[in-house]
Amino acid sequence: MNALLAGIPLEYLAECDFAKTGQSLVAFVSAGSIVSAAKRMLGEGWHLEDLAALDCLEGFVVSYHFAHFDKPGRVTLRVLAPHDKPEVPSIAGVFEGAEWHERETRDFHGVVFPGNPNLIPLLMDPDMADCFPLRKDPKSRVKAREMLEAGEVVFISPSFTLMTPDAPAAEGKESGGAAATA
Amino acid sequence: MTRYADTGQVAGDFYTNNFAKTAKEGSLILNLGPQHPSTHGVLRVIVELDGEYVLRAEPVLGYLHRMHEKMAEVKTAAQFIPNMGRVDYGHAIAWNWAFVGAVEKLAGIEVPERAEYVRVITCEFNRIASHLLWWGAYLLDLGAFTPIMYAFDDREKILDILQCPTGSRLTYSYFRIGGVALDLSEDCLRRIREFIPWMRSRLPMYKDLVSDNIILRKRIEGIGVIEPEQCQRYGATGPVARGSGIGYDIRRAVPYSVYPKLDFLVPTSELKDARGRYDVRMIEIEQSLNIIEQCLELMPEGDTLVKGAPKPSWKVPKGETYFAVEGGRGKIGVHVVSDGGKNLYRTKLRAPGFSNLSLFAEVSRGTILADAVAILGSLDLIIPEIDR
Repeated sequence: MNALLAGIPLEYLAECDFAKTGQSLVAFVSAGSIVSAAKRMLGEGWHLEDLAALDCLEGFVVSYHFAHFDKPGRVTLRVLAPHDKPEVPSIAGVFEGAEWHERETRDFHGVVFPGNPNLIPLLMDPDMADCFPLRKDPKSRVKAREMLEAGEVVFISPSFTLMTPDAPAAEGKESGGAAATA
Repeated sequence: MTRYADTGQVAGDFYTNNFAKTAKEGSLILNLGPQHPSTHGVLRVIVELDGEYVLRAEPVLGYLHRMHEKMAEVKTAAQFIPNMGRVDYGHAIAWNWAFVGAVEKLAGIEVPERAEYVRVITCEFNRIASHLLWWGAYLLDLGAFTPIMYAFDDREKILDILQCPTGSRLTYSYFRIGGVALDLSEDCLRRIREFIPWMRSRLPMYKDLVSDNIILRKRIEGIGVIEPEQCQRYGATGPVARGSGIGYDIRRAVPYSVYPKLDFLVPTSELKDARGRYDVRMIEIEQSLNIIEQCLELMPEGDTLVKGAPKPSWKVPKGETYFAVEGGRGKIGVHVVSDGGKNLYRTKLRAPGFSNLSLFAEVSRGTILADAVAILGSLDLIIPEIDR
């Protein structure tokens, strides 16, 4: 399953216990690589289930959940969008169904998706489109690593610290890393 | 775009004006809904017409948006269950299940076996009720008034049965974290046993009266063809995907509860059109009856709620999980993220109708307006679920 994202520049790749977390593979990619990662998923026959942001201390973690019609498992791609400039390129050109999910995420969290063909309010009233109801009060934001599933780390980029516990304990397997960055 | 010469005002609201920006010269912009007999609930569709042909269509959502995901952040997990009955009034029990299942998965709570069977029985009954509601309303869309009377007659019997354990008839909040609220009583089981042969005897009549009817066939055959590859790009699931030949059903693909022990068929159709989706739903009614019948035989005695089941103030342990169930309209997914606090940190609800409806703009292009309505109905839309 690790080979699925081979060649895509990843920041973090981990295998998870599907029975417990409902996810078999979690990968963080940079905002610049999400479109190529989405193209890979489309080419491999995966479909986009949903897309949602999570307001953490470090920024908005935008999660893309993918499932397959013939294979079990769920692949989660994640992009971290900073609070001061939450921008992630749109994947609506790859998965048309993402257009609405991205509009919804813009409504709820204010994450914008440049390249979305029609980024107007979807569920919120256009007159109050900039109130972002799911943004957290800065005081109640929690660190991403305290909540998100870390899984069995296959690869971690040296500069990527979002999921690393405060004490350094990343058990990166070099072989998996080489395959993922090759 | 129409600008009134006397006042200089532009006709239409934000969405109409935005839609009209790219309109062709001489085309007509028409708003269907938000309150219109041909759009279920309060869906609004803006269409650009050239004569009777749809050049472009854009659904406008949000008229029933209640921000359930925000409500999940201000209530404890157990207090949020009643919200789930209100997301999709067609198949409320499946939504109960998706949320409760996600929390159970995160907390590692095992559900007693009898409760699993009770869950399957009630969920399948609700699925039949949901399909009957769709069937009646769809035919009403297409101009046939009588079938909804038959459908509601049968659906009424199901609501009576579900009323015994759940106490409600539409917006069920029956599931609990760790089981269900109440066991099925002897009286309830007797009524279930009586209902199954009754419903089976009705299905041939439905087929003769409606499914084989030449008027219906001319309205739905070859209309709204959806290719499997489109289902993939839009994330369409449920009868919409199965009507396009994709045998994808969460009950089989990612088995949960006691479904692996049950023998049932996942119907698919190679027709890919509105007829294919119609056929799939009609067969699913039969299959749900088979499932319920098997459950009655296999159901063990025992508790229906785990001992020490969480109290309303119970805190969900830290972590995240994603859990999906098969609802009447497709894959219902719930992604919960907890920081170990009083309320869940984030709850994302994946509504199948949302993805299924997003297909509509592409599928309706180039069809006659009356066929576009037939396509819309064939997607089986429940608006509160789409808007959440």
